Amino acid sequence: MQAFDQIQELWQKHQVEVKVSADEMLQQAKKEVNGIKLRSALNIIGMLFSFLAILLVWVFYEYQSLTTHFGFAIVLCAISISTLILIRDHRLIAKNDYTVYPHQYLQNLKTYQLNRYNLYNYMYWLYTIALSLGFILTFMEILSKLSNTQRILAVSLTFLWILFCSTILRKAVMKREKERIALLIEKFERISSQF
Amino acid sequence: MRLMEQKDKLFKEIFDSNSKKIFHLCYGYTGDTDAANDLLQETFLKVWQNLDKFRNKSLISTWIYRIAVNTCLTYLRSEKRQAKDELTDNIIENKIEEFSEKNEQIALLYTCISKLEENDRLIITMFLDELPYHEIADISGISEGNLRVKIHRIKQKLTELYNQYASV
Repeated sequence: MQAFDQIQELWQKHQVEVKVSADEMLQQAKKEVNGIKLRSALNIIGMLFSFLAILLVWVFYEYQSLTTHFGFAIVLCAISISTLILIRDHRLIAKNDYTVYPHQYLQNLKTYQLNRYNLYNYMYWLYTIALSLGFILTFMEILSKLSNTQRILAVSLTFLWILFCSTILRKAVMKREKERIALLIEKFERISSQF
Repeated sequence: MRLMEQKDKLFKEIFDSNSKKIFHLCYGYTGDTDAANDLLQETFLKVWQNLDKFRNKSLISTWIYRIAVNTCLTYLRSEKRQAKDELTDNIIENKIEEFSEKNEQIALLYTCISKLEENDRLIITMFLDELPYHEIADISGISEGNLRVKIHRIKQKLTELYNQYASV
């Protein structure tokens, strides 16, 4: 039979080891926030890279038809507008540090979540329609120089790629991002609610 | 910039002098090192953010304990962590095996604490850490008179549980 005093002695004898330091702890909090920032920045870089690649194809090759130029212009316009939207959203989460301005950051994170939802819904369809229209117009001239097999291959691959991005990929990215932001908001709200 | 450096320095001092006790409290509450670490981080993140609001009306350690207690209570109530809560028993059961050679008694103590009610777990943890009655009363929001009665009951319950499990 043990008495309570012995239990207390047992408790006090048990030395716990804190594995995290004050610096690491604050770094950890920032890391979660930075994960979303980094993904958003990579998204922007990817869009800029696509813009440059298409611009180079437009500038360095000679096209006869005005329709082709019009097609390229539509594609580049769609990419530019989407990139600007992404930059605007990125600034929303990048301008505040959670560990310094928690309430402002939480508000921005909620706006960011809403913006992302819009981006992956009706904005995405507008983007896809503009991109498809642009590709159709550019393909008119480009495909005329190719053989029938190459034409079928180019059209079907482009179509399948757009279909894949608009359905499976879009849904998967949307779900993952929604969960990630929602978890972060939940955590920050719990932290803020006490004060 | 200088203010920020001062805040950093102050925070580090506060962390170094309080983190061990807070971790022990969180560990006693959850019985799980990872969960205790999460709770410790969440507690000190709140401390960091609200350091400017601390008005020396109570001891800083009392203030931090209060934050930690609230954090513990809301942590496991959060829907997403319910599953983890249910796992606590398993974690502790596993710990008994891990500790069997080293310190079975300590593992048994954590098992018994985990069998107490949420609030009782936190109160007894603070008592075991020898926090004065008036501080525990302040942190848990119970009058000192009621707290003494409550602690007496929890002590009895914990001792019973411990002896019961130890005899199995």
